[in-house]
Amino acid sequence: MDKVKTNEKFSKRQKLISLTPIIGLVILLILYVVIGIIKDINFKAGFEAIVNQSVILAIVATGAIFIFTLGSFDISLGASTLVSACAGGLVYNATGSVALMLLTCVAASLAASLVSSVLGSIFNLPVFVTTVAMMSVLSAVSEMLITGKGGNQIRISGLSGLENIWVKLIFLVIFTAICVFVFEFTKVGRRQKALGGNPVCAKLTGISVKTYAILAFIMAGVGIGLGGFLTAVRASTITSGTASDIGMNIFIAIVFGGMPISGGPRSRIYAAIIGSFSIRILSQILTMLLAAVPGANGIAQIVRAIFFLAMVYLASMNYRTKMLPR
Amino acid sequence: MKTLKKIVSVAVALALIATAVLALASCGEAKKVKIGVIVADATGSEALSFRNYYKEYIEQNYAVEFLYSDALTDAEAEKAAIENFITSGCKAIISLASADRPAQIEQCEKAGVYYAVASGVLNDDEYAKYKDYKYYVGAIGPSLDVEYQTGYEMAKAQIAQGKTKFAIYGAGVGYRIDMHVQRTAGMLAALCEDESTTYGGVSIPGAIIGSLYTDGEVSLSKFQSSKYELVGYHALWNFGDATWQANLASVVAAEPEVILCAGTGLSVFGQAVSGTNVKICDIDSFTSDYATAMQNGTVTYLAGKYASSIGPIFAAVLDAVNGHAVKTEAGEALALGQSYWVATSYAQFEKFQSADSVANPIFNKTLLDTVVGDSISYGTFKTFVETDRTPA
Repeated sequence: MDKVKTNEKFSKRQKLISLTPIIGLVILLILYVVIGIIKDINFKAGFEAIVNQSVILAIVATGAIFIFTLGSFDISLGASTLVSACAGGLVYNATGSVALMLLTCVAASLAASLVSSVLGSIFNLPVFVTTVAMMSVLSAVSEMLITGKGGNQIRISGLSGLENIWVKLIFLVIFTAICVFVFEFTKVGRRQKALGGNPVCAKLTGISVKTYAILAFIMAGVGIGLGGFLTAVRASTITSGTASDIGMNIFIAIVFGGMPISGGPRSRIYAAIIGSFSIRILSQILTMLLAAVPGANGIAQIVRAIFFLAMVYLASMNYRTKMLPR
Repeated sequence: MKTLKKIVSVAVALALIATAVLALASCGEAKKVKIGVIVADATGSEALSFRNYYKEYIEQNYAVEFLYSDALTDAEAEKAAIENFITSGCKAIISLASADRPAQIEQCEKAGVYYAVASGVLNDDEYAKYKDYKYYVGAIGPSLDVEYQTGYEMAKAQIAQGKTKFAIYGAGVGYRIDMHVQRTAGMLAALCEDESTTYGGVSIPGAIIGSLYTDGEVSLSKFQSSKYELVGYHALWNFGDATWQANLASVVAAEPEVILCAGTGLSVFGQAVSGTNVKICDIDSFTSDYATAMQNGTVTYLAGKYASSIGPIFAAVLDAVNGHAVKTEAGEALALGQSYWVATSYAQFEKFQSADSVANPIFNKTLLDTVVGDSISYGTFKTFVETDRTPA
């Protein structure tokens, strides 16, 4: 009887905690609107800013969910996005073709992702380790691409027509739909969750770690490529600092979105989108509240860190039970 | 479960109360014109002196509120900062960041927000393109000719002292930031006045400028001279990059007599030259950091801006926001020049520094009020900006 009650309590708690990211997003939205009304902000510009600043992060993070689901971590996502944007920018400047630019962005990031995952497979290393090495390699490659024609930047002009929220949203919706399909409705997603949940058990059932690691990196590579393309369109001037914060922001976003940092069966593809929009809305709120305060950026970073820790703590409450978590 | 509910409830309630208090606290304030300021550098001495002037002097004397961006390192960050300012209800943006000025101008024009460049100018091609934009107020700062001349005179002053072994810090030459390219070209042109000296086989200023724009750097191998040595070149601000740090160290290790800096030289080389005989010649601002450096001999030459030199662009922005934008006779945006003050000794530096403080700036309210109004002519504004205000 006690055991049944414990199970019910655990189940209720799990449900509530799993809804926390969505509840958090709704609360942030309400706060944003309330403070925005008080502060008399330009809501149209505000929502456009949120979309503009969230979508690239959301796309790259959505692809990266496949890697995180395995319980792994890719530290080279920012560097890979930069290489992708550089390669696409150079191709566009040379050809004037948007289609070729997009293909190049995706091809460049896929190549980088495949090298990471294949190296991991060949040398039997955790993929996280190979991405550390890849980060240095990709930084060097982006430096070469940027400085290849002299100077320290790649300027791209003529793409301002693509720099609007609808283009970004179309990319986000299509890519998310593909990811949801693969993640939720194919054996690829199911097996990746199994590998992240219990790799030993998954291996014993015949699931190949290497194959699904490579597949995860392919999905992530496509996301990075699309993110690189949109970054190049948005920035129009690419330097070595472009996309530099995207790697860490992805990690924060997926945690905000309720993704367990250990991956596994509780991984959710929507975590990236919820998390990306949540941290951008939170940033907008902090900007409104702290805009005229000295040291505002430092305060905002501390607040974000507190939110991050709170989310990790809430997620970890799922495991605080006598039941085995997996 | 109950504990969890309590925690969530208390957290949400506290967050709501805190934000409501913060938001309501600002409700009672009188309606001020919000102006966004985008900066590439948020902590450098020049950036801080400009900020202090706007926040501690202008805000106290005019019904305006300045919102500052974080340090912006790339074009995407500049774009996001402008988006945030537009959301916050800023009526104008003053730019001290230049990763992609054309993109900034286009973004503000599209949003119907006034845009102005402080402490710098657009190049000729950019001005030709944007001078008729409705929301482009203009640029007030040292013209590109002044920038070239400033670099030239810095190098000439060192040559006159008998210096022959140089290094150059090009600052934003790698980003092809016009003012840094012009200053660096001026330095090279001064050295190339010696008949044995050429850069890339030429000594013509125009060719040197062209070469810097093409290469995005000073190539040591292009510098040929039997009189002078150019022993090192450094650029940009990649403090976190090991290669960049190594090159910085190698420039100092080459023991030039002087590092000719196109800007922010003290921030970049200050620590590295400490305890050596290497001196810094720089183009920056009259701030306390430079006071110390000039006093202890680290910096021997400073062509500097003063904090309130960004006063005139504020006046132009305020006029525009109030519906009386000052335009040229042809109805075009402002493009007015300011010059630098040059200090070659600590005594001279002190005199300049004391002439322009936050409490008593050169461009004080009395002076600014002469060009804030509804019937300010271009001629009046031009004279106001271009009058030499160097302390006697």
